[in-house]
Amino acid sequence: MKELILKDSEYEIKRGKIVRTKMMTEQEKLFEIVLPGGDNLDHDPGQFVEVSILGAGEAPISIASSPTKRDSFELVVRNVGRVTGALHKLETGDEVGIRGPFGKGFPVRILEGNDLLFVAAGLGLVPLRSLINFVIDNRRDFGKVTVLLGCKTPDNMLFGDELESWRKRLDVNLNCTVDKADPEWKGNVGLITSLIPGVTLKPKRTFAVVVGPPIMYKFVIQELLKKEIPDRQILVSLERHMKCGLGKCGHCQINGIYCCQEGPVLSYDRIKSIPEAL
Amino acid sequence: MAKPKVAFFDFACCEGCQLQVANMGELLFDVLGAIDVVEFREVMSEKGPDKIDVAIVEGSITTPHAVEKIKKIRERASVLIAYGSCATIGGVNGMKNNFKLDDIRKEVYGKDAKYFETIETMSVPQVVKVDYLVNGCPVYLPEFVKVLKAALAGLPYQVPDYSVCVECKLNENVCMYQKGVTCLGPVTKAGCNSWCINNGNICYGCRGMVSNPNEKGAKDVLEKYNIPMDLIVNKMNMYNKCREIDQREQKKR
Amino acid sequence: MKKTHIATLKKERFDDFISALARLQKVVAPVARGNGQFAFEPVVSGNEIALDYIPTILPPKKYFLPQHETLATFDTTKGQQMEPVVAYEKMVIFGVHTCDLAGIQSLNMIFSERPKDVNYLIRKSAITIIGYECNDYCDEYASCRLVHNHTPNGGYDLFFTNLGDKFIIHINTQAGDDIIESAGLFEPAQAADLKALEQLRSDKRKLFANEVPVVHENIPEVFAKSFNSKVWEDLGKKCLACGNCTNVCPTCYCFDVIDEPNLDLKTGKRYRRWDSCQSETFAQVAGGESFREERGARQRHRFYRKFKYPMNKFSRLFCTGCGRCSRTCMAKINLKETLTQLVKEQAMTDLKAGNQ
Repeated sequence: MKELILKDSEYEIKRGKIVRTKMMTEQEKLFEIVLPGGDNLDHDPGQFVEVSILGAGEAPISIASSPTKRDSFELVVRNVGRVTGALHKLETGDEVGIRGPFGKGFPVRILEGNDLLFVAAGLGLVPLRSLINFVIDNRRDFGKVTVLLGCKTPDNMLFGDELESWRKRLDVNLNCTVDKADPEWKGNVGLITSLIPGVTLKPKRTFAVVVGPPIMYKFVIQELLKKEIPDRQILVSLERHMKCGLGKCGHCQINGIYCCQEGPVLSYDRIKSIPEAL
Repeated sequence: MAKPKVAFFDFACCEGCQLQVANMGELLFDVLGAIDVVEFREVMSEKGPDKIDVAIVEGSITTPHAVEKIKKIRERASVLIAYGSCATIGGVNGMKNNFKLDDIRKEVYGKDAKYFETIETMSVPQVVKVDYLVNGCPVYLPEFVKVLKAALAGLPYQVPDYSVCVECKLNENVCMYQKGVTCLGPVTKAGCNSWCINNGNICYGCRGMVSNPNEKGAKDVLEKYNIPMDLIVNKMNMYNKCREIDQREQKKR
Repeated sequence: MKKTHIATLKKERFDDFISALARLQKVVAPVARGNGQFAFEPVVSGNEIALDYIPTILPPKKYFLPQHETLATFDTTKGQQMEPVVAYEKMVIFGVHTCDLAGIQSLNMIFSERPKDVNYLIRKSAITIIGYECNDYCDEYASCRLVHNHTPNGGYDLFFTNLGDKFIIHINTQAGDDIIESAGLFEPAQAADLKALEQLRSDKRKLFANEVPVVHENIPEVFAKSFNSKVWEDLGKKCLACGNCTNVCPTCYCFDVIDEPNLDLKTGKRYRRWDSCQSETFAQVAGGESFREERGARQRHRFYRKFKYPMNKFSRLFCTGCGRCSRTCMAKINLKETLTQLVKEQAMTDLKAGNQ
């Protein structure tokens, strides 16, 4: 048996340095990461990376920052498993392994010139934030921008300060809702779907971008269809177990497609014919 | 960094699983290089300190005294590893639960029975919170080392929740059912690398049942192979009798 | 002068041939394991080889995609340092049936598709394949005629056909010819040998009959309409989710990637291990949600990955007809029967639609 060191393995990792961390909620922690030599990650909004902690393993994590932020990128990680648990123990100065970016992100070229309706629930804001901030940084390239956000309680709301800055902008309409309010909460109470009927939009020139827990999609899409947004203009990002990121290991497969290659961003037009998608 | 303090404890068992550690061979040196054994009745007489990092517990809980003792161990230990079938699933001691407690007491202790209190056999996780499970009768050493590493690194260890068949196929064994022998591999949790079958034996189910077995499907399979249900239940109960305690608790809820 | 592509080997020289080959490099071939079971194992002589064998417990994919394969070694003493590696071995696989040749061809497609899997490709390039023809059905589980794998469709360096007192060999590659040349045991084929081969193939056309009432070309169409069939629910009731069917499948290639640190907790390896879409946790995400919770949905996924999805992507069925999944299934889920049920159900539906 011969052993060979590979220079061209797809499993090679880059050594990312954590330059900032922040607990965002009890369960979610933000990591800002710099690649060796300050290299740009060169991702599209909506793509993901495979994050390694050697010894613990590797996990797919959505990129939370816009590619317009060039020197570093951000991840928001929920502590739910072996790798993410180990990640939560890391602090500024620690290293993580990075592979990627992987997958098809949001088709920003196609979105340009159109009105955008962002719908995010829970952790769905994380991948969507990469696109929202991209749009804000290239604001004149896009039409009207509406952001609808939902989460369980006000404590769970991610990126609170950033949401405030979006709220103050004259070129962004932001509306938030929580399932259960606390005494200080001044916004909406109710499911994310309850925000959609109140939005005024021109369906032909609107793209809706939806990211949230699996259960949410069907209901949100129903509301969007009522607004007569065409199927191909409804975009979703699907969460699957993208173990290898290379379209091989099979874990992320949705019927015939590898979510890590052809997704995670897919149009409703496309997934209508993929019964396992929603 | 100081090496983690590790202590071994035992309850109702044959202590064979602890013996496995002593029989580790060369690997033992690597293990001892990584930990500081502070209490291990089988190989040393010293008693450990009040606070220990890792408690490795063999045996099942069968007396009120044992209940108190395991609770104290739990308080002392940051991490508790249930070690071997008796600890993780009750194991062969569970067969006691086939009988009335009084009958058992009389059978074992005769006229002195009244001096010996007894309770139905329970696994360690049925009494206290357990952080890691090392199933098996005896434990499969490579898995024990894997769990120990996870415990030392502060990482979770998930006992595979698929059947022994998975590992058995990867080892390309001839299926016991092909040989006309009844084997519990199809409903038993993997993680042992199909150790017994690799060595020509059947699977006795010592690692516990997979958590969501297709019971109806399994019954059909038995019928097809002409295997009486009683035989399988008996075989299964040899190690898995204490499972009934969990089922009872579930019904209450 | 262009060399001939056909040679023959007398039966009595077969043992010498394998022995000579095994002195030069590792040779693996089907070996009897008792209870009518066979496995590819290293051999040093021809006598060890079971020429008359039914498909081995595991297909030869185990040499292309080992059950456990180290992808990288790591050392975190100075940060996240990892070195991707491949372990490989030069070897000859002797006696690969046409169904398994098709299986290897399918895996080649998967692993050479971008992003390429260099581990697989390096290992593949170190392997020489000698195919071996089935003159008759191995048993009732095979469905090789359905998928046209009862006769050779390439994918080998040499291909042996048993003509009774001798083998006739198709030399397909230079690597194959080098083996023939260096052995010095082979003879040129005579007209009678070629005629015998022709006769054998023509006999086979009668012997092998489509095992399922549908022609190859129409299978994807059957599947296009069968996603909500009750057949899947029935399979779900039977299936024990033991994963035997996928582990023994020559074209199943799903895997898990796992880190195994050493006791120092600093060094260790990252490896991949065969995984199965039949396992309950396979399509589960970190939050616990599973996208194919029902056993029936998982069985359906397996069938679609053989008969529908690869057809869209590679214009190729990924079922080789070897019959291993049916042969190994504890619950006696039978591929031929399942296909037949789907076809019949489809015919009923079409009939009803026609009547309305």
